[in-house]
This record gives sequence, structure tokens and C-alpha cells, in this order.
Amino acid sequence: MKKLFSLVVTAALAVTSLFAFAGCSSASQGGSGASEFKVGAIYINSQNDTSGYTYAHHHGITEAMKTVGLDPSKDLYIVDNVPEDDEKVKQAIDQLAGNGCDIIFGISFGYINAMEEKAKEYPDIIFSHATGYLSNDKNFNNYFGRIYQARYLAGIAAGYKSLATGNNNIGYVSAWGTEYAETCSGINGFALGAMSVNPDAKISVYEIFTWGDQELERQAAETLIDTYGCGVIAQHCDSAQPQIVANEKGVYGCGYNSDMTAEAPEAHLTAPIWNWDAYYATAMKAAMTDPSTFMTAVGNYYEGLNAGLVDVSALSKNCEPETKEAIDLAKNLMKSGEWDVFSGVKLSFSGAAGSVAVAKTDSALIANDGKEIVVAGGPSVDDGVIQGSMNYYVEGVTQVN
Amino acid sequence: MRRYHLVRRADSQLKRTLIYYAIGILVSLTIGAVLLISLGINPFQYYGRMFTIGLVGNKYGYKSIEGLLKVFVPLLITSLALSLSFKMRFWNIGGEGEFLIGAICASIVAFNSSGMPNFVTVVLMCLAAMISSGIIGVAIAALKVRFNTNETLMTLMLNYIMLYVIRYIGDTKADWNFFLREDSERPIFGSFPESAVMGGIPLGKFKLLWAVLIAILLTAVIYIYLKYTKQGYEISVVGDSSATAKYAGMNVGKIVLRTMFISSALIGLAAALAVSSAGTISDTITNDVGWTGIIVAWLSKLSVPAVFVTAILISVLQYGCQAAATQYPAIDVNFADLLQGIILFSVLVADFAANFRIVRKEDAKHA
Repeated sequence: MKKLFSLVVTAALAVTSLFAFAGCSSASQGGSGASEFKVGAIYINSQNDTSGYTYAHHHGITEAMKTVGLDPSKDLYIVDNVPEDDEKVKQAIDQLAGNGCDIIFGISFGYINAMEEKAKEYPDIIFSHATGYLSNDKNFNNYFGRIYQARYLAGIAAGYKSLATGNNNIGYVSAWGTEYAETCSGINGFALGAMSVNPDAKISVYEIFTWGDQELERQAAETLIDTYGCGVIAQHCDSAQPQIVANEKGVYGCGYNSDMTAEAPEAHLTAPIWNWDAYYATAMKAAMTDPSTFMTAVGNYYEGLNAGLVDVSALSKNCEPETKEAIDLAKNLMKSGEWDVFSGVKLSFSGAAGSVAVAKTDSALIANDGKEIVVAGGPSVDDGVIQGSMNYYVEGVTQVN
Repeated sequence: MRRYHLVRRADSQLKRTLIYYAIGILVSLTIGAVLLISLGINPFQYYGRMFTIGLVGNKYGYKSIEGLLKVFVPLLITSLALSLSFKMRFWNIGGEGEFLIGAICASIVAFNSSGMPNFVTVVLMCLAAMISSGIIGVAIAALKVRFNTNETLMTLMLNYIMLYVIRYIGDTKADWNFFLREDSERPIFGSFPESAVMGGIPLGKFKLLWAVLIAILLTAVIYIYLKYTKQGYEISVVGDSSATAKYAGMNVGKIVLRTMFISSALIGLAAALAVSSAGTISDTITNDVGWTGIIVAWLSKLSVPAVFVTAILISVLQYGCQAAATQYPAIDVNFADLLQGIILFSVLVADFAANFRIVRKEDAKHA
């Protein structure tokens, strides 16, 4: 038996060395552009996804590469399906570093420990981490966006729909609730948007306790519609299932991450979306120009509508006629920095299509347990809170499970 | 009215087995090549990168070797441990669960070890892991010996229990939970203090972790244990026929308990070495060794030297598939996994074909 295996092994090694030889020769043929700029990416899901979180980032990275004159089919190295496991992330980084990447993007929060550690180990490579909170002053930053602004705009669309249908119940399928500032601020932003149009709107949140699970997303949407009578379904989860359910049941919905009108043609209104290429192009340009000034040129990045990083998808035919004007008015206020969502000033909209007007009123931001967060007329909640520690729902929001 | 049936080949010819293996590998690589070509990729170049684990043109090649060894060590030890219990015909498919218990207990020591000497900490981690995993293994073996429970079900279910235990630990932010990173608002596993991180022998830039040496040493010890000790002999007798063992005056229950303890404790050790090498824990820390180890053990026909070699080959395959996928933007890890699956499946089919043949029944016999 031992003999047998030694023979098998010899055979296997022979095959291996044969291919190794082939690999050597072809690699040396194609090794021309040593000075080229190379981009590395670590994804939580598959790079070949056609929707969802990883897709949005992959699309952003490839678009940005084209913008800055790089070829994604040659200059992009990807390790995908990397779980939030430090050891696996470190191995992925070693692979990317070994292949000569000059900047490495990690898109999932749980990559944080590995990226922090490897940034020290590879001082010549820029490490850029989405949704994180760590950085250093040389080669490690974090980036994220004010998606709550886009959610506020989607909330406006939902608010008009609820007025038109006379159903004040709006549902929200959420990956997580108050545990994560990201989901929590999204829910609050959406709720405030909806209530700016329909002050009687009630937002019911159904938490599915995972970032993505199509079956759970589906069930949550069904429960919100059947049990809680919701007429609009918003979502913070990976798939289009909540919108598909809304479509089946003849109600309306706001997707997330991509325009989900194709999946739910009769239901979908508009979706908060990311234009990640806005950030990726900025980061790549800075790293290509001079990596040593990356942290002063880009630094930790937290932008919103103003930079084009977030937006809402094109309004579908299902939207009420006033929606577009109202969204544009609110968008301009946020773009100019004149007003922001979590402040002591509330927007309200009036007028029919063609003459929609916005009014600002001083009004305290109140949590749903009655606690005052921002006094009437007060300044916006700190970015640090919005990104990291917001753990309360605003008045009008209830979690149903 | 079955026209065909399987017959075990009476003679196991070396040459035939070898040819079948070669055909199996060739067929799988050809299927892969067709897929690669359809994606517009040169299969020779791709396989070249795969079997050289992406070392060619790699700026930090030594890190690839380090990474490969971190995949190899837990797989080797787990496969050896599983072989021990399989030899006894005790179907321990709870490698994942036993690994996770060990990893959790080793991490409890690790997270509370700051300030302790490195050597002491790592030894304590190993002991904690081995004892905890070993006890679980013995508990399941005891149920089998005492109540004749089905160990396949028991060990299988253990995997899921432990998987959800570690997910619970990883998702629960609480004062008691020292596993998590303190400064993070979101729950996320923290890193071990320096005292719990496995050291090694620096060879230039390359660092040969102690874990690798321990694994090699362990292979030799297990080989000797099975081949030259009384206990090793007892295991094979129980495996061949527990009735024979009983008539020979062996205490079968005791042998089963002892062997399961060793088997699970070894898996615990693999876990301790893995978390210490990684410097952290996660719910994917097992890297599926509890499952892959079963394939390694059976491909090796439970022979220790063969396990060693097979574990190397499978590690190269695993690591190489990912390394090659990285270098091609069109290839994602799903494809790498698919290719890996095709290769393993073909080898298993080849192994089967080398040992069995299909015989056509003579119709006349039925008449």
C-alpha cells in the first residue's frame, strides 16, 4: 500500500512540475508591465454577483478603474467569498500583496483586525476599509457614506405613496435593528423622510438578524404586509425578495443597493443606491499620484449626496406625481449642506405636482421612547454617532419582532 | 432482474490503480480546461499557477508557503485523528465540532493570558483544547458503548451545536464576552495578546511555526503507536471484528473510549495550534478540516504515511485553487471550489474503479 502511494505521489508531483514549468514560461512571457498600478480587492460574496453589496462595490471598483485609466481585466486582483475570519483575510491580503497590488480595498466590516495588522506589515501598500472605524496616518483609511440621506429621499417617495393609498403603515425589512448604527441610522433616515410627507406614517421594522437570507427576507416582508397591513415595504438587506413580495401582494416598495424596478415592476418606487465609484476613483487617483500623501489627500472618507456617493435610483412610474420635485428640493438642501436629516429642523412638503414647496420648522428630534436627542433648532447629530453608536429609533418607528 | 453488479477485484494491482488515478486526474483537469477555455483563460497557465500555489511572480512567495502550512497542519492532524477512530470502525464525523470545542477552550486561555510567558500559554492552550475535545469524544463514545447509540448521528449533530455556540459567542456583545474586540460597536472577534501567538524558527524572512514541527513529530508518533504498540494493535483488532477482540479477552469498551479520547484530543490539539497560529478565532476557523479530513483519511486507506502525503496534496490543491483564482479577475472562488470538487470526485471515482469492477450477469443464469 505504501509503495502504491509513493508511486501516486511521484505521478502527482510529475504532473505538478509539468504544469509548474508551463506556468513559468507563460508568466515570464506576460510579465511586461512591472511598474503598472495594481488594485486589490477582498469581497465578502462572489465577484460575479449580479446584485447586492459585493456587486455594488465590484461595479464601483471596475468603473473607477476605467475612469482613472486602468484595465480591470489586467490590473485588478480579487479574492472573493472571504469570510470575516482574520486568518483568511490575512491570507487574502498576502496573496494580493504578493501579486504586487498597490492599493487593497476590503469591503466588509469584519476585515478590520486583519487590515489593521497588515497595514503595518506592508507600509508601501494603501489599505482602504469600508464601514470600519480604524485608520493610521500613513497607509490605512476607512470609507463609508451618508446612505441615510438617500434613505430619507426614498422615505419621501414612500410617504407620498402612503398618503395616496390612505394606508399609514409602512414596513421595513432590516438585517439588524438598533445593534448596528448602520441599519439604525438607515431606518431613522427613511422614517423621517416618510414622516416629512405624511406625519401620520408609522414605520414597522422587522429584523431578520442577518445581512442576507432570501428566505427570511421574504418571510419578513410577508409578515409585514399580512399581519401589520403595511402598504409600502422598504428594506436594508441583500436581495430583492421584499420587493418581489410587495409586487406579488399588490403593495409598493423601496429597494436597496440597486434599482429593483426590474424585479418588482408594479411595486417598486425608488431605491437608495451607492455609487461607490465616486470614492474608488478618488482613492485610486490619490494613490496613483503619490501614495505617501494618501492620508492627507483622501483620509477617512465619509461623504454623501454632495459627492455623488449615494443617491436614489430613477423614480419609477409607480411614484406619486409630487415625488420628484420633493426629492429634488430635499436633495439640494442636503447637497448644499444647508440642512441634514438628524438635526433639530424638520422638512415638510406641501402643494400639488408642479408647485411642491418645502418648509423648514424647528422641531426636536425625539427617540421613540420619548427621549429628546436634539433640541428644536439644534445642530445635527455627530457623524461619529451616526456611523458608530446610534442605537435608538426615532418617534414613529416600532420594531415588531 | 439486475443485469449488472459490482464485484470487488480480488487482486489489487498497483499498476492498474496508478493508471486509474492518472486517468481520473486527467479527466478532471480536462473538464476544468474546457471550462477555463470557455472563460477565455489559458488552462496551462492557470493550472501552472494553481499547482505552484501562485508562487510564480509572487513578491512575497514565502508568505504563500506560510499560508499553505497553516492550511496543512490542522488538516494533517485532524485526518490522522479521524483515521484512528475509523480504523476502529467508529464513525467519528464530528471533526468540525471537536475542532471548535478545542478552539473555543484554547481561546478562553488565550484571551486571558496577557503577561504570561508565551511557551506556558501555548502549552496551556493545547491542554485546554485537548482535554475539552477529548471529554466530548469520550462522552459520545460512552453513549455508544453503554447504550449502543449511533455515533454517526451523535458526532454529526455535535458539529452543528458547536457551530452555533461559536456564532453565538461571535454575535453577542456583553460584559462577559472577552472573545470580542472591546472598542468595536459591532460584535467582532478580537485578536489574542502576543503571549498566545505561536512562535517559530525564522529562516530568513520565512518563519517556520512550531506547529509544523509538532505536526510532523505527531505523525511519527501516531505511526509508531499504531504499528508497534499493543494499543495500536488492539485498535485494528476491534476494527476488524469486535467479536474477535472480545474472545481474545480485550475490553472493547475501554479500547473504544480510549481511542476516541485520543482521536478527539488530537483534533483539539489541531484546533489549539490553528488558533494560536492565526492569533484569533472565528466561526470559519476549522477551514472544514472535519469534513476534508474524512476524505484525506479514506483516500489514504487510513495509512499514516499516506495521510501525510494526501494532506499535503489536498492543501496544495485548496491553497492553489484560491491563489490561481486571485490572479484572474474572471475567476471567482466558486469556480476554484468547483474545480477542486471535480478533481477530488474524479480521484474518488478512480479509486473506486480500481477496486471494483462491473460484471454483466449472464442472462442464461437467470433462466
